[in-house]
Amino acid sequence: MSASTTQGAAAAHDPATAHGRTEQPRGGIDLDDPTLSRFEVVREGARQDGVEIVHYEPPFPVPKTRGERRLVRIVTGFFLLTGLASTVFMLVYILWPFEYAPGADRSDWFTPLLGVSLGIALISAGFGVMTWGKKLLPHEIAIQERHEGGSAPKDRKIAATTLLYIGDEMGLRRRPILGLSLLAGLTPVAVAAGAPFIGALIKDPNKGHPLLTTAFREGIRLTHKDGSPIRPEEVSVGGQITVFPGVPGGATNRHADSPTLLIHLRGEDADALRANLDEINRGSMFGNFVAYSKICTHAGCPASLYEQQTNRLLCPCHQSQFLITDNAKPVFGPATRALPMLPITVNDEGFFVATSDYKVPIGPAFWERYS
Amino acid sequence: MTSDQPAERRAERRGGRGWRLGRTRGVDALHPASGPPSRARRRVGAVVRLTAALLLAGGLYTAFAPGVAAEDTPSLTDKAIQGKALFDTSCVTCHGRNAQGVTDVGPSLIGVGGASVEFQVGTGRMPMARQEAQAMRKPVQFTPEEIAALAAYVQELGGGPQVPGGSLRPTTSDPEQLALEIAQGGDLYRLNCAQCHTFGGGGGALSSGKWAPRLDKATDRQIYAAMLTGPQNMPVFGDNQLTPEEKRQIIAYIQNLQDDRDPGGLNLGRLGPVTEGIAIFLVGMVILIFTTLWIAGKS
Amino acid sequence: MRKRPKLDVRALPGKTAGEIDDRLQVATPLRRLLNKVFPDHWSFLLGEIALFSFIILLLTGTFLALFFDPSMREVTYSGAYEPLQGRHMSAAYASTLDLSFEVRGGLIMRQMHHWSALLFMASIVVHMLRVFFTGAFRKPRELNWIIGILLFWIGFTEGFAGYSLPDDGLSGTGLRIAHAIMLSIPVIGHWVANALFGGEFPGNGLIIPRLYIAHVFLLPGILLGLITAHLALVFKQKHTQWPGPGRTNSNVVGERMFPRYAIKQGGFFAIVFGVVALMAGAFQINPVWYFGPYEAAVVSAASQPDWYVMFLDGSTRLFPPWQLELPGGYHIPPLFWPTVVLPGILTILPILYPFIEARLTKDRRAHHLLQRPRDVPNRTGLGAMAVTFYLVLTISGGNDVIAEKFDISLNAMTWAGRIGLIILPPLAYYIAYRVCLGLQQHDREVLAHGVETGIIRRLPDGRFIEVHQPLAGSGHGDAEHAQLEYSGWVVPKKMNRLGALGPAIKGFFYPIEKPAQAPVSPGRPPVSAGDRPAVTDSPERLEDASRR
Repeated sequence: MSASTTQGAAAAHDPATAHGRTEQPRGGIDLDDPTLSRFEVVREGARQDGVEIVHYEPPFPVPKTRGERRLVRIVTGFFLLTGLASTVFMLVYILWPFEYAPGADRSDWFTPLLGVSLGIALISAGFGVMTWGKKLLPHEIAIQERHEGGSAPKDRKIAATTLLYIGDEMGLRRRPILGLSLLAGLTPVAVAAGAPFIGALIKDPNKGHPLLTTAFREGIRLTHKDGSPIRPEEVSVGGQITVFPGVPGGATNRHADSPTLLIHLRGEDADALRANLDEINRGSMFGNFVAYSKICTHAGCPASLYEQQTNRLLCPCHQSQFLITDNAKPVFGPATRALPMLPITVNDEGFFVATSDYKVPIGPAFWERYS
Repeated sequence: MTSDQPAERRAERRGGRGWRLGRTRGVDALHPASGPPSRARRRVGAVVRLTAALLLAGGLYTAFAPGVAAEDTPSLTDKAIQGKALFDTSCVTCHGRNAQGVTDVGPSLIGVGGASVEFQVGTGRMPMARQEAQAMRKPVQFTPEEIAALAAYVQELGGGPQVPGGSLRPTTSDPEQLALEIAQGGDLYRLNCAQCHTFGGGGGALSSGKWAPRLDKATDRQIYAAMLTGPQNMPVFGDNQLTPEEKRQIIAYIQNLQDDRDPGGLNLGRLGPVTEGIAIFLVGMVILIFTTLWIAGKS
Repeated sequence: MRKRPKLDVRALPGKTAGEIDDRLQVATPLRRLLNKVFPDHWSFLLGEIALFSFIILLLTGTFLALFFDPSMREVTYSGAYEPLQGRHMSAAYASTLDLSFEVRGGLIMRQMHHWSALLFMASIVVHMLRVFFTGAFRKPRELNWIIGILLFWIGFTEGFAGYSLPDDGLSGTGLRIAHAIMLSIPVIGHWVANALFGGEFPGNGLIIPRLYIAHVFLLPGILLGLITAHLALVFKQKHTQWPGPGRTNSNVVGERMFPRYAIKQGGFFAIVFGVVALMAGAFQINPVWYFGPYEAAVVSAASQPDWYVMFLDGSTRLFPPWQLELPGGYHIPPLFWPTVVLPGILTILPILYPFIEARLTKDRRAHHLLQRPRDVPNRTGLGAMAVTFYLVLTISGGNDVIAEKFDISLNAMTWAGRIGLIILPPLAYYIAYRVCLGLQQHDREVLAHGVETGIIRRLPDGRFIEVHQPLAGSGHGDAEHAQLEYSGWVVPKKMNRLGALGPAIKGFFYPIEKPAQAPVSPGRPPVSAGDRPAVTDSPERLEDASRR
């Protein structure tokens, strides 16, 4: 080998001996031997790590065979494809129109083209690298010793003793009051350090009983989403509309507990409901109109799938079904509480108004008492 | 048997009451009343009295008899007559001879209006193939003219809502205004329709085997008709509830949903996380596991 | 004039390395790293998919964070997407729309980010199953198993936070449900929900910013730390390996890290990235513009969380309407059990499993060799039970989509899920157990009687037998069968695996071989057309041929 290698090997060798670590190779391999091939040095180095290379087979010992050239062409082809696809990606990225336009036009292809070109580029690069690694690199089998299991018993003893000696040095046994006072002093500090994270977040959730009230009160109008009030003639028989409380921001998420479903029942259905009304819901209907809370009592999704012939209200989240003609009691699915009924009437102007807030808490159940 | 007396004929047509009245009232033409005047004069007088009595009876009956019973054909337009002919051959089994409905088989069509026919027959749902939870869209059995005829018949039979003519899109040519109308339609769609038909119009399940159908094949008129009539379990969105203008906005939004090509690639049915989850396993993980098999094999 | 010493370019790397080593002493650690041996099997690469997806998530997520506005402040949309013109929405939703329609390449980045998240969780699950069924979690790797379970749940939370950030109609409903879940916790539920949201739902406008900080800072930090620990443990303890020729419990047989293994890793990373990019271009995901901004009164049919959360949606749908009424007027809502208790069980049980199994099998030795699933029928059965349970729940999470697409009654789907959840897992256990036993039996049978060659021979007394190629030295029919020990590795069951049938068939999807080189049966010289006597030949010719 050339002089530089020997020099390099010697240079690398010096710091090791300078530090007192001897790297006497096993099996008598002399790293200063100039006839040593690189692979033999590597193999010897691997032995230092407990790795024995037992099988090493270059795939193409004879250079420039047809098989090798074919593989080289394939790998080159993959890399060139990568370059091509990446260029396409850049061109599309810079030049293709991408801003939204209604209907179907070229801008709809922007994202698919980018994805496909980038995908081809990367997959091609991966295939190229993989083929290189699998077919052109030598096949090897190496075995490494595990050196597993716990540390040697004497190492354990030393480590354990060192740890225990720390305790001795600290002299806690001699001066127990130190340890106790440390604990007594630092515990509040730790609590104080963590306190803001929790304390700032925690407020009494039951102040103002938010779960027991909504925005509806006596006289509050039922409105459309745009705030306009509603007359009875505006709801078709067999139809339903979503209504909101007539307060500022009543239709926004600020009053997420207030959306209500106003249903105009057919005559016979309304009669059935009236016959079934629970004590708490008596007098809450207005004619054939009934208003139920839209917020499902299971997990809070708006239960809005009204089936006008079966009079079931289906919630799409977990398939709870409420029977409109029986106080919106749940008849299927995981919900356990009926949807609260909003007591409504029509005021002198002819608009729907609530006569009071909901009589039971709306929405999902919770631990605390309901009143 | 038709008598030779006009009054009697008229009375016969009316169910023979005149005939009976004639009989109970007066005398039989073959058995005139007997009396002192001469035989011939008595005969003539009898005939005259009989005629007068019959005329009186018939006239009184004409004046006071109740209205026409069902056997009489009401006056229908030509289109409706055409529709009736189709109705009588295709619909009476389930809906009854006069569309009054058959218990436990088919509902009454009195009052459903031409809009219902346009929707149900126009989407192939009717004639229904069998009794099941819900009628499903099938190949349409009638031509558009036939459907219009059926609609006219049902409308004239019992009245009800009708789909207005002309374009059912917002009446504006300003593209910015149109965009606003579509956006407003989107708001209305999400509040009133999405819970059953899904955000992307892909259709959703209702309880016990019913469903809200996909909207991709619906025409403007069909959407309008469905909102107006509330077919089967769909709630009714009458014009008092969703004004025609609002309906046009919703239709514009729905059709825009269909016209807008998805900018992100294949839309996987616009069904959301279910199909996305299936895709990541069936496409992503399968490709990658085959890749790992190629990389490292089975040693 | 003094000449400047010429810069010897070729010696530069050596000199640089020398300078670095002077300061850091990296020579030996570097060599140790380069020489580390990794075993080679396709199933060991599944965890890599998760690692690479995580890197993709970091890269694409950084891009998205540059454009996303995590604020619930109400704005009026005036961007490019016309069907939402003039709508009121939060700034978070508006900035997501801007990313999708107005930022160059924003949509492909969003889609790559989301697909990569789905792939991350999918590969975690597949990797976890591999580790479970092969017993790689046994001592000394229990800690790594626990870290893996934590990675699943933190990834789960990270994904939930991520898809809730745009504040759209679908994920907002999910947040509502999350609030209800917190509310359902006994005693402290209302306090927890109120603390996190800042008031009754939707709170004081801070939930999205809080989810944002969790999603881009807190949770990725924890994930990075845990992933580093996970990989460090694999490095330190060395990877497990399948038993086989030359493999013992105290060595690792494979290839060295560099260049071989590293090249495969690099190539695989490129392929994973490429697959994510392809999917992001070919398939649309999470089209928030159809969902509209989150409004409390709006919901859509077919509302589900992302697939890795869907099993909890399924458990919620299936759970019967059982509410506990306690004395004093307190309640435990039905939402508590399937969404709080069940995930708790599904965390504790897997974490404790390595220790439970060690105690039940009374096996406290360290194991570095994997077990074939068939050799541990109990564990495989348990795993089949768990997978079935999980699958029934996940499918039930999408039961309304399935009901609508396949014309099945929604109520029937719910009942099928409830009953299936009870009946199918034990059934799966039984079937898996029996299959394992059958496979074990077949292994032993082949070891005892040899490989079926497919050659039928007729014995002089008229019986037909199939010739078996024995695996051990002595042949069939000896007084003593040579009993080969089962060594825990694949038993060859086909002639080509023994090399007795010419080279093994090359090719994966279809055989790559030319007809002329088709393998021949063992024990006979190749027969050409001319040798074979034709049926119509005279008896003399037949005799000649048979004598030959």
